[in-house]
Amino acid sequence: MSGMWAVCKREFSSYFVTPIGYVIIGVYSLITGLGFLASFLYYARISQSPAAFDYSSIPSLEETMLSPFLVFCGQILIFLAPLITMRLLAEEKNRGTMELMLTYPLRDRDIIFGKYLAALGMALIMMLVVGVYMAIVAVFATVEPAVLLFGMLTVFLMGAALISLGLMISALTSNQVTSGVLTFGLVFIMYVISALARDLSPDNPAPANWGEGIRDAIGFIYTIFRTILVELSIDAHARDMAQGIVQPEDIAYYVLFAAFFIFATFRVLESRKWRAIS
Amino acid sequence: MISAEGLTKYYGPIPAIQGVSFHVDQGEIVGFLGPNGAGKTTTMRILTGYMPATSGVAKIAGFDVSKDPIEVKRRVGYLPENVPLYPEMLVSAFLRFVAEVKGVERRNIPGEIDRVVERCGLIEVKQRLVKNLSKGFRQRLGLAQALIGSPPVLILDEPTVGLDPRQIIDIRNMIKGLAEEHTIMLSSHILPEVAMICQRVMIIHHGRLVVEDTMERLGGEGEVRLLELEAMGATARIRELLAGIDGVQDVSVNGEQDRYVIRTDAAKDPREMIIQALVQAGIPVAGLHERRRTLEDVFVEVVSQEESQVVADAGEEDSV
Repeated sequence: MSGMWAVCKREFSSYFVTPIGYVIIGVYSLITGLGFLASFLYYARISQSPAAFDYSSIPSLEETMLSPFLVFCGQILIFLAPLITMRLLAEEKNRGTMELMLTYPLRDRDIIFGKYLAALGMALIMMLVVGVYMAIVAVFATVEPAVLLFGMLTVFLMGAALISLGLMISALTSNQVTSGVLTFGLVFIMYVISALARDLSPDNPAPANWGEGIRDAIGFIYTIFRTILVELSIDAHARDMAQGIVQPEDIAYYVLFAAFFIFATFRVLESRKWRAIS
Repeated sequence: MISAEGLTKYYGPIPAIQGVSFHVDQGEIVGFLGPNGAGKTTTMRILTGYMPATSGVAKIAGFDVSKDPIEVKRRVGYLPENVPLYPEMLVSAFLRFVAEVKGVERRNIPGEIDRVVERCGLIEVKQRLVKNLSKGFRQRLGLAQALIGSPPVLILDEPTVGLDPRQIIDIRNMIKGLAEEHTIMLSSHILPEVAMICQRVMIIHHGRLVVEDTMERLGGEGEVRLLELEAMGATARIRELLAGIDGVQDVSVNGEQDRYVIRTDAAKDPREMIIQALVQAGIPVAGLHERRRTLEDVFVEVVSQEESQVVADAGEEDSV
């Protein structure tokens, strides 16, 4: 336990003894700040003349401005999370310090959770950046505080899920660039596939003149296939949550996503025990 | 304290070490010697729990490395070959991290850091970044991190590689000073170094342990006496003369011109006869003296024996 905290502390502070932590948070603040400004201005124009934007009355702030903005804040993490995670294990391997880590009295879980928590600390800071925007919204508009809190939680959960994937990939390679690019590529491809899959018709694709049994079977498989593809994207469950509508399955999606990749990280780290060349 | 039984490690189809067995008692300093690529680092990595052996059992303080890795790692301080460190950290912060990871009690951490810093001569660089340290200080820091928590066993992989002669002496003395409290196993491919520090030597070659003995016995005369001869004359003529002398087993040219190494029976001392024979033949003798067997001789003997063994084995296979 103390070993895990020591790993976490060292890892987290290493974000800030090098410029990388400041750069990531600075760039994130800048991009989301501009996004906040743009979506606020857009909402202001809508509320001045709703008719020009095909609204019959002034639309709700949550639905029109807040939710898309929060999802945007999470989507930016697709670009930045790989930068947070790419060094986690890859750098240790590249520098050879992994040999120290693995010969100190640390268990795999101390190393993996220590690293994961340190990266999660970065996601937490990013969540607080979003918290600043939420505070501004709270001052100028009457919005349920729960909505703002869940908005921040959405961003954090997306970060937590992305970081778990990045951690796993970082365990696979000893090259930081490979690790970062692979993480980004994977998340981005999942995002695009999901966007394409949403265009697939939810109806059964089997011809109507086929037997009912076969039609049902094909429909069943097709539905599972389509659902998985749609669910691949990291923001699949963010939209509702960002409006303050919290459903257990949305939170479960992110928790399970993270749990799966942390589990995979354990397996990857363990592979040193049976792989021929470590 | 350290024991290995039949350790074997394959990298894919290639064996790095095969059937390595040895035992190190508490308080010993043991040198682990071998040419580069002989399997020293592999053996040490198995002992420290960094990688598992393909087969065989390694135990430290009675704990099986593969079954109780945490207990083993608590008792071992390890200096890896290339001294990996975190360049962006302060020396003091790095040692603090090591102390925390090794489970040193919180209130004892500052004292423990001061102890190893003083011991390893790092006082002047305590508040410097690791990346700004010279090679000598890096090596000391590597030793310092191994010492944190006073583990009973120290495993040092090439602790003096890449240092200048003065630094080598420093590190050597440091290691000698540690011998009172720790059982130490260190690897090296530099023979005199091992001879100076260690009580006992294990020589590994092509992944097999070929010699394991104390320094005294290895350095002792054994069955042969070695004589170094410096004489000016035709090599063939000198060889012929020497071969005729009672007790001379073998003559080899010692690389340089006019220098010979003569192996003789330990029981006989043919020095007088050699001088007489050479002088009578009109060959000037510039020097003749007895040489104690150095580790180098042992090493060369062992390695060449191994190789001739291999050649002989191959020959047998061919004839079958």
